[in-house]
Amino acid sequence: MKGNLGEKLQSLPKPILYLILILATSIPLFFPTEVPNEPVESTKDFYATLMALPEGSKVLLMSDWTGSTRGESKGAFRSIFKILIRRKAKVAIYSAADPQAPRVAQDAINELNMERKRKNLPTFDRWNDWVNIGYFPNAEAAINGIANDLKGAFGGRKDFPPNSPPRDVFQSPVLQGVTKVEDFPLMLVITASKTSNFAVERVSGRTPLAFAVTGVMVPETQVFYQSKQIVGYCGGLKGVYDLEQLMESGVNFPDKATAKIKSDKLGTIEGFPDPDNKGQGTRYYPTLHYALALMIIMIILGNVGMFLAKRGDKS
Amino acid sequence: MIPLLQAQAPATSFWSEAFNSSELWTKLIITLIVGLVVMVGLLYAPIRARKPIVAFFTFISGAYWVLLYLWPKPIDRQPGEMPLNTVETVSFWLADSNNVVVSFTQILTGFLLGLGIFSLLKIHLTKISKGHKDAFFSIVLLASMGLMIWFGYADWFDRLGERGAMLDNRDNWGFTQYGRDFLFEGLLQQMDAAMFSVIAFYILSAAYRAFRVRSVEATILLSAALLVLLSLMGAVSFVWDENVKAIANGNPFILNFQLTEVAQWIRNTFQTSSIRGIQFGVGLGALAMGLRLWLSLEKPGSGS
Repeated sequence: MKGNLGEKLQSLPKPILYLILILATSIPLFFPTEVPNEPVESTKDFYATLMALPEGSKVLLMSDWTGSTRGESKGAFRSIFKILIRRKAKVAIYSAADPQAPRVAQDAINELNMERKRKNLPTFDRWNDWVNIGYFPNAEAAINGIANDLKGAFGGRKDFPPNSPPRDVFQSPVLQGVTKVEDFPLMLVITASKTSNFAVERVSGRTPLAFAVTGVMVPETQVFYQSKQIVGYCGGLKGVYDLEQLMESGVNFPDKATAKIKSDKLGTIEGFPDPDNKGQGTRYYPTLHYALALMIIMIILGNVGMFLAKRGDKS
Repeated sequence: MIPLLQAQAPATSFWSEAFNSSELWTKLIITLIVGLVVMVGLLYAPIRARKPIVAFFTFISGAYWVLLYLWPKPIDRQPGEMPLNTVETVSFWLADSNNVVVSFTQILTGFLLGLGIFSLLKIHLTKISKGHKDAFFSIVLLASMGLMIWFGYADWFDRLGERGAMLDNRDNWGFTQYGRDFLFEGLLQQMDAAMFSVIAFYILSAAYRAFRVRSVEATILLSAALLVLLSLMGAVSFVWDENVKAIANGNPFILNFQLTEVAQWIRNTFQTSSIRGIQFGVGLGALAMGLRLWLSLEKPGSGS
């Protein structure tokens, strides 16, 4: 590296940059720390919506995430299911963005069930508590069908009841009595792609919509949240961490004066303290901190280098 | 009074017949024959005639969605209700046929997966047969694809029996399930995550090299970006906000300078309005392009 200090600061070799990033993002994983945090309004609303579900509610879930965004999406998926299990909800899952998505969702629930089994907690059973309706290759046509004729759109799809060959999903306790999208008191979308837009276009106003999206999707999702087309959303890793903290502390709970997380807009929403609430969000959030801090430092360093180089040129 | 005027229709419509009924089989066979005739007809149609045929079907397909959106929808339609007039007849027909059209769209999109597999096989089998220098990678790719398909279907067939639901429990797994899990969860999902995480390196490198304060606009952009980045760091925003609250001592104006408030203001004021503007433009563009495609005004490859 030749040149003055300014030029050197502007042209750090890529391998060094990459090495610093690897260290900055890996080291926090070995030293778990709880970062102070104030959940954002959108996640508080998201949590409030889930906690307001009457016990036994039927929820339609579009699960459109795979391994590529599991750092964020899997954490959101697990937290959402922990809340839904607590609310004794029944969940109908379908996917429309990626053929891998149904299996990924299924594996994530099985993983959650294995953990619950180890702790002697009741499992969230396929067919009785959730059904996997499967993959629809055309996302827009699928949501169109669901909005116009849910029975027809899911008709002929089969899932696995215990000790029986596959049967029509409408025979499961999850979809019994469901004939139209309005029969679901909530539609959840966990996505890393544009499929959330289709849900807004076709289902908004028919039944409440809530999203769990990746960090890069937060700006476009904020538009729908601001216009009240969706009731709340959990955005990126910060959203997952917010959700885990909300599960632990609730909102204005036990009362507004002593609550850890407060809201002027919402009433008292209870939390359910459990060491198990701290999941992927708590584990990965410090890593995000270091990565963002590193990015800010590198941007400042590059600019300082530019000024030094300019001053050197003038002198 | 209106319900009294309505006659009761049969439970099935033109688009649906009872399972395994002779009517259903008749319609299936007629559809198959018509489909084959149309396909053969298209294959032998003169090249000049193909364009209007494609234009006709494109228009009909597009017209269905336009009508579905614009035509008055049946309100509180009861099962077996008969239409009272032409408007209702069309609206009932559109509603009843929606599911068939949606299913047709799903099947058509599903064929794209088949087309992808065909294309992949064609390219890589040619490479292997010609002994291309990268033939080894083609072999690995096709072997991986074959293994994944085999284990995927084997797992699926295992699940079709009465033990289907039991196979969600790892304790009941056999060779097929372990094989499927190793390939799908152990390899594919991990590689997927690894590929995506590579973006972090490019983002850091690009931010370091490109994010420079060279003009007033760049300075504003950089300041807004830094504020939003800092607001995503809970530890920083927490300490900042607590200090602002202490300084403000209840003063609502000073409370506006909390980092979370500033970041929220940037998001709600500038970001969302910009995105709305962009989406509005994209929507108008899509509408214009959609119209051109629907009316077959778009000439592929001609640049018009």
